[in-house]
Amino acid sequence: MSYLLPTLTRKKEVDTIIRDTIDKVLVLRFGRADDAVCLQLDDILAKTAREVSKFATVALVDVDSDDVQVYVKYFDITLIPSTIFFFNAHHMKMDSGTADHTKWVGAFHEKQDFIDVVEAIFRGAMKGKLIVNCPLPPERIPKYQLLYKDV
Amino acid sequence: MATLADSFLADLDELSDNEADVLEEENNDVANMEEDIDGDLADIETLNYDDLDSVSKLQKSQRYIDIMQKVEDALEKGSDISNQGLVLEDDPEYQLIVDCNGLSVDIENEIVIIHNFIRDKYRLKFPELESLVHHPIDYARVVKKIGNEMDLTLVDLEGLLPSAIIMVVSVTASTTSGKPLPEDVLQKTIDACDRALALDTAKKKVLDFVESRMGYIAPNLSTIVGSAVAAKLMGTAGGLSALAKMPACNVQLLGAKKKTLAGFSTATSQFRVGYIEQTEIFQTTPPALRSRACRLLASKATLAARIDSTRGDPLGNAGKTLKEEIHKKIEKWQEPPPAKQPKPLPVPDSEPKKKRGGRRLRKMKERYAITDMRKLANRMQFGVPEESSLGDGLGEGYGMLGQAGSGKLRVSIGQSKLAAKVAKKFKEKNYGSSGATSGLTSSLAFTPVQNRRGLAKVLV
Repeated sequence: MSYLLPTLTRKKEVDTIIRDTIDKVLVLRFGRADDAVCLQLDDILAKTAREVSKFATVALVDVDSDDVQVYVKYFDITLIPSTIFFFNAHHMKMDSGTADHTKWVGAFHEKQDFIDVVEAIFRGAMKGKLIVNCPLPPERIPKYQLLYKDV
Repeated sequence: MATLADSFLADLDELSDNEADVLEEENNDVANMEEDIDGDLADIETLNYDDLDSVSKLQKSQRYIDIMQKVEDALEKGSDISNQGLVLEDDPEYQLIVDCNGLSVDIENEIVIIHNFIRDKYRLKFPELESLVHHPIDYARVVKKIGNEMDLTLVDLEGLLPSAIIMVVSVTASTTSGKPLPEDVLQKTIDACDRALALDTAKKKVLDFVESRMGYIAPNLSTIVGSAVAAKLMGTAGGLSALAKMPACNVQLLGAKKKTLAGFSTATSQFRVGYIEQTEIFQTTPPALRSRACRLLASKATLAARIDSTRGDPLGNAGKTLKEEIHKKIEKWQEPPPAKQPKPLPVPDSEPKKKRGGRRLRKMKERYAITDMRKLANRMQFGVPEESSLGDGLGEGYGMLGQAGSGKLRVSIGQSKLAAKVAKKFKEKNYGSSGATSGLTSSLAFTPVQNRRGLAKVLV
């Protein structure tokens, strides 16, 4: 499953891939290979990677590697798996009714859900928006609780 | 050439090729002609031959005897590969082959003439047989077997014909309108059959000889289709150069048999293929690809024949290459189609939507178009404050609507199409389901009469 998608462990690799993906949505999954939900998400990503290949690129980032901790801190990744969308090196946000708009936390129910999300991001990005609305109904969006520190 | 018969004979030449030609060639004796050409000469079918010899002279002709002799000798000698000189045409063996080819064509024609003769004579006895059995040699054999017999159950036709045809022949014979032949006519008919069969064996001998020499005469052609078929093709075409001149589509049909229908439908009839059917390559292709393979074989065989007729490649290498090509092509046809790859989704919004046009769309758009009233309300006159619904600038502005000097005395609400449709639907809904009505009553009973006109238009 996840051997079909490129796995990035160095900061440099992440940099290059963000810079080099032009006019396509870049889907970066931050997670680890032994987590169950992560595996589920990876499965869906691997299966749809070819279908959306014309307007999206999918890559996996190992959250345990030391080099990428910079990014983990920057994007404030606490829950595994987290998926971050980029378009032309801009970070795309998505309002899915949850607390955190900057990333997608959790897996998807179906391949079609993932394709819909990526398409929404693509359309919004082509129009010039930086934040888009999520096309999925609320029952399809994985719910989670954010723990706020010292708030 | 002053006799009447000769001038009539000159007419004959234009009418029919084979019969008249052969007669011309083999009959140098004018007296013979006068004997049998009597009566109506305009129609060649009404020629009465009483004597077989006057019809078929080939077996008696010197040429025939010479060539047959040579063939027998050569067959006995076995295959000696004579080292041919620079030009093939000088080689006596090649000359013999060329003569053999010509002779086999002549024998064919001769057999046709004899077949006609037998048929004419046997018509009195069994007229339907000629339409049931087409092949001349088979016909001759059947006639010989049946003889003067009226009851076909006593005659055993096994092995001469396919069983279906035997059955049909027996059934037709039981209801035939023929009468037994007189003895001398019968004798002549049997003689003619014998001669036809003799000619057939002679032809076979000639073909065998040609086949054995085929590898030497036309190496490329025999590599592709095999020496037997090559010999047959050459024989039917009348020589290697004649075969080379033929277009490939004709080569495909050389030797094609005419189908005996016998009441069976033509829906299952095969495509027409001749001697090519007997080649090894054709037999080993799967039935689905056979028609394509036949065309391919015919075209490559024609190419090979053309190479051979000019002795372009005496070793037969070109033939080998062509054969390889044929094999490769047939292999390629049998390959399964490439596996279907799932296509990735297209980029969103990259393909613009196809906009439709036309009267229907225009009528639909009219319903939602801006009405004149709304247009007037949208505009304002310069320097003239507009009226508003709540007065004093509050509420909705009326624009040019209802202002003096706007050019219109009264603003009438034109029939808005949308409103009409909505009203109709509303009425339908209301009158359609009104309380306790049985299912048999229709909503038409409740609509006021004036609106029924509109409904009627829709229903029609």
